[in-house]
Amino acid sequence: MPRTFGKLRVSVALFALLATSTAANARDQITIVGSSTVFPFATTVAERFGKNTDFKTPVVEQTGSGGGLKLFCSGTGEKTPDITNASRRIKASEVELCAKNGVDEIVEVKIGYDGIVLANSRKSDVMELTRKDIFLALAKDVPAGEGKTKPNAYKSWKEVNPDLPDVKIEVLGPPPTSGTRDAFVELAMEGGCKQIDWIKALKKSDKNAYKALCHTIREDGGFVEAGENDNLIVQKLEVNPAAFGIFGFSFLDQNSDKIQGSIVEGNEPEFDEIAEGNYPISRSLYVYVKKAHIGVIPGIEEFLEEFISEDAFGEDGYLGDKGLIPLTEEEVEDVLDAVTNLTPVEL
Amino acid sequence: MAVSSDISIAARGQKNRLVELAVRCVLIFCALVAVATTIGIVASLLFEALRFFQQVPLTDFLFGLEWSPQTALRSDQVGSSGAFGAVPLIAGTLLISAIAMIVATPLGLMSAIYLAEYANERTRGIVKPLLELLAGIPTVVYGFFAALIVAPMLRNGGESMGFEISSESALAAGLTMGVMIIPLISSLSDDVINAVPQSLRDASYGLGATQAETIKQVILPAATPGIAGSLLLATSRAIGETMIVVMAAGLAAKLTANPLEAVTTVTVQIVTLLTGDQEFDSAKTLSAFALGLLLFVITLCLNVVALRIVDRYKEQYD
Amino acid sequence: MTESAIILKSAGSKRHRAESRFRAYGLIAIAISLSFLLIMIGSITMRGTAAFKQTFVQIEVNLPTEKLDPEGTRDPEVLRKARYGKLLKSALREQFPDAKKRADKKSLYKLISSTAEYSIRDQVAANPSLVGGIHPFWVRASSDVDQYMKGTIDGSLEESQRRVNDKQIAWIESLKASGSIESRFNTQFFTGGDSREPEQAGIMGAVVGSALTLLICFLLAFPIGVLAAVYLEEFSAKGRINRFIEVNINNLAAVPSIVYGLLGLAILLNVFNLPRSTPLVGGMVLALMTLPTIIIASRSSLRAVPPSIREAAFGLGASKVQTTFHHVVPLAMPGMLTGSIIGMAQALGETAPLLMIGMVAFIVDVPGGVTEAATALPVQIFLWADSPERGFMEKTSAAILVLLGFLVIMNLAAVYLRRRLEIRW
Repeated sequence: MPRTFGKLRVSVALFALLATSTAANARDQITIVGSSTVFPFATTVAERFGKNTDFKTPVVEQTGSGGGLKLFCSGTGEKTPDITNASRRIKASEVELCAKNGVDEIVEVKIGYDGIVLANSRKSDVMELTRKDIFLALAKDVPAGEGKTKPNAYKSWKEVNPDLPDVKIEVLGPPPTSGTRDAFVELAMEGGCKQIDWIKALKKSDKNAYKALCHTIREDGGFVEAGENDNLIVQKLEVNPAAFGIFGFSFLDQNSDKIQGSIVEGNEPEFDEIAEGNYPISRSLYVYVKKAHIGVIPGIEEFLEEFISEDAFGEDGYLGDKGLIPLTEEEVEDVLDAVTNLTPVEL
Repeated sequence: MAVSSDISIAARGQKNRLVELAVRCVLIFCALVAVATTIGIVASLLFEALRFFQQVPLTDFLFGLEWSPQTALRSDQVGSSGAFGAVPLIAGTLLISAIAMIVATPLGLMSAIYLAEYANERTRGIVKPLLELLAGIPTVVYGFFAALIVAPMLRNGGESMGFEISSESALAAGLTMGVMIIPLISSLSDDVINAVPQSLRDASYGLGATQAETIKQVILPAATPGIAGSLLLATSRAIGETMIVVMAAGLAAKLTANPLEAVTTVTVQIVTLLTGDQEFDSAKTLSAFALGLLLFVITLCLNVVALRIVDRYKEQYD
Repeated sequence: MTESAIILKSAGSKRHRAESRFRAYGLIAIAISLSFLLIMIGSITMRGTAAFKQTFVQIEVNLPTEKLDPEGTRDPEVLRKARYGKLLKSALREQFPDAKKRADKKSLYKLISSTAEYSIRDQVAANPSLVGGIHPFWVRASSDVDQYMKGTIDGSLEESQRRVNDKQIAWIESLKASGSIESRFNTQFFTGGDSREPEQAGIMGAVVGSALTLLICFLLAFPIGVLAAVYLEEFSAKGRINRFIEVNINNLAAVPSIVYGLLGLAILLNVFNLPRSTPLVGGMVLALMTLPTIIIASRSSLRAVPPSIREAAFGLGASKVQTTFHHVVPLAMPGMLTGSIIGMAQALGETAPLLMIGMVAFIVDVPGGVTEAATALPVQIFLWADSPERGFMEKTSAAILVLLGFLVIMNLAAVYLRRRLEIRW
């Protein structure tokens, strides 16, 4: 018996130890949550920060923009994340939620732009599209004459626009839970939708109908929800040269030997074109910081400094190598200003 | 027991009784942890699922033919209310599981028959652990294999024969999953076949039957309930499998019986809903728990039935 | 059983053929199953072994005192603070003066890993006498160069279709000619934490995370599982409650693992507010998952202890507790341990429940305790399979090989225990 009880005692003691260690030690490591689009950039900065300074390397978790903001806004204290990444701007409703939970000062850092590209295998030809083509090919309902719609029956790109090749419409894209999908719908689909005059007029008369028409993606096989595992989509595009995939620019950049981005309205999805704002489907990426945690969790200010250093998000910075499109000079000024003064976001 | 000899027998007896009691309590507590786990699972799934059913009626969930959890991510997004019909997910799950079972049943069963009836001790000693190795390979590895090797192979093969096979076809996930459950079926069936009394075999041989005839006409019929039980357990395993389908199956909820098309499963949706960009208590997130509950109930029913059959069968020959 | 089979030779060739056909089916089934195993392990090994090698480039770096250590203290702390990136870049420009245009310079810098400056920093800090001279350093090549050297990137393709351009290839060839580029064993892969740069990424963090998770899992599941089995086998009356618990355990053994993840998310994280992404929570979830396996194995092991042992102990006046813990449990221990190791091996390969509790995170530092954020080996595999950088493809396969290696070791340990220690009655 002594032996067995000895073992029992050891495990009881261990549990007690675990319990106390959970309660006692204050966190000395930054935790970051949020968008999977910003994830590659945030992790690169985190890694450099860990190597360049004596602080611990921050932990970065992908929860998605919405999920990240939700966790971020759940309160202050070491159990809540210090920073959240977002592939869209924080919403008024989210600022309210934050304030309700005691997170009243949030610092917004705009870190750069990301293009959303429609890419296919290098084995096929580069496609030249307009946003209207994209809308007509992927919407659930398409306009049929003034004020009327019909379910989308286009099977081939040629049916959408006679100038396009006779290739079956098959687009692999992110699921509705993804922020990339969100941005794609807003920028590409709605952008094309607006080009039809009566729909543009509809926006003023019936906003809901307008949104329902412009934002709903077809579900009959032309658009295949293929997950956010973009690497696997690249593999799938390689074996299926007719198919297109929807990616963030950084993914295209990394896989430029296998896939090519379609030209949209005459602009190639290239670094400079996106940076200059010519490529029409691009969005801003943000990092949000909890002001209450600055000074409590060590290293947050230094981490931000690393993020917005010229070495990182500047024109030739290492984030550019990862596919982040840098801000313009005036914007950089604003961001530097916001970070030095830790100005809370105002919508 | 470290008790010094000067303690009187009576005190010692009393101490012993106390110790016995304490030990018994600790033991009962440990046994109840398993029960508590079940309660925990049911409670957590039910609690979140009930919140979901306040927003989406149970009948819509169970009988709806459309799954498209496109609820607004934010309040200012499209007013699409989303469709939460689980039927296409269940159909997809069953399609992939069926493919897996079609692959695994003959392979697993024949392997088991060979190992139990034909193989000598040495072959058995080598082959059995190798088959079990298949069961020991983590599912994330199968997923990687399915997505990067099986799926492109099928696609290219299909293309050269004039078929159009989707790159996340149910077939690729199902085939790989089938390989994964071969050892499950073979080892369970092996046990079952071994449990058939030797006297049945001897009687059959005595009547002049060959080994194959004995197996087909005597042993298998005798072992049928046990084999059925093991097949049910394997099906339940296939239905609950996550990583293979997360990595190799699609996300589009389509109601189809064509194995060449992409389908999605209950487990894939749970993972996507809980790891993507979303609000934490929207119907979308809560639906993951409703799906979890559904999965739990389905596998539980299969398991209860399967275990019962196996138990009955065992009693028959015990 | 073959011995007892009586094959009647006179029974006609048709029955004979049916017999051999049936036998062949069995063999074919086994052959197919095992060939799947072979193909899978083979293809992953082929992809993965490349990751055990890493290309290194030798560069002559000038380490001027005024830039690194203006006060001449040679204090490692001061030397660590200096920035080595610029020195490295100018060293590259000196070695290849033909890179004049901005784009060319950029391609030139991309020859070596962006983390190379840290390895130089560490070497200088460790050996301050290097300051003030020009020294050759072997640094990691970038992932693209590494892939080119390994032949994954095909240099004969058109320039736009590969990630290494013509200039870079020319530089690589000149490095090759001077013997300044070579392939070495990639120790970093085994000793480093995760990284965004494929050439720098290692699995140590994930291995330690898995080890901590399994430790928690074992500390919880083993005692509870064994004691529950002892209760069910030795103490409880064979009544309705016992039957209920038994059915319960058997069913838990077949609950899909992802459901345990949901349990962890809803109860451990949301109700008890335990820290996300930690081995503590991961271990608890996995412990609940492996508990049924351990209970079932322990019970059969207890059942195998013959009643005569118990009767002998009782006969000498031992109490129930004494009999059980002094005699029955020690005899059943090897079997219980074997069952537990197999349960632990399952837990080691489990991914789905860990996804639910936030262990899909980017973590560079090797975790130092169970309440620090960590990732686990299978999750690392999932994360790498997800990464855009091409170099991660081989790392994923290599990480799978390491995981399989651990699983084989655990299973061999179980087999060894079973063969050596298990007492046959």
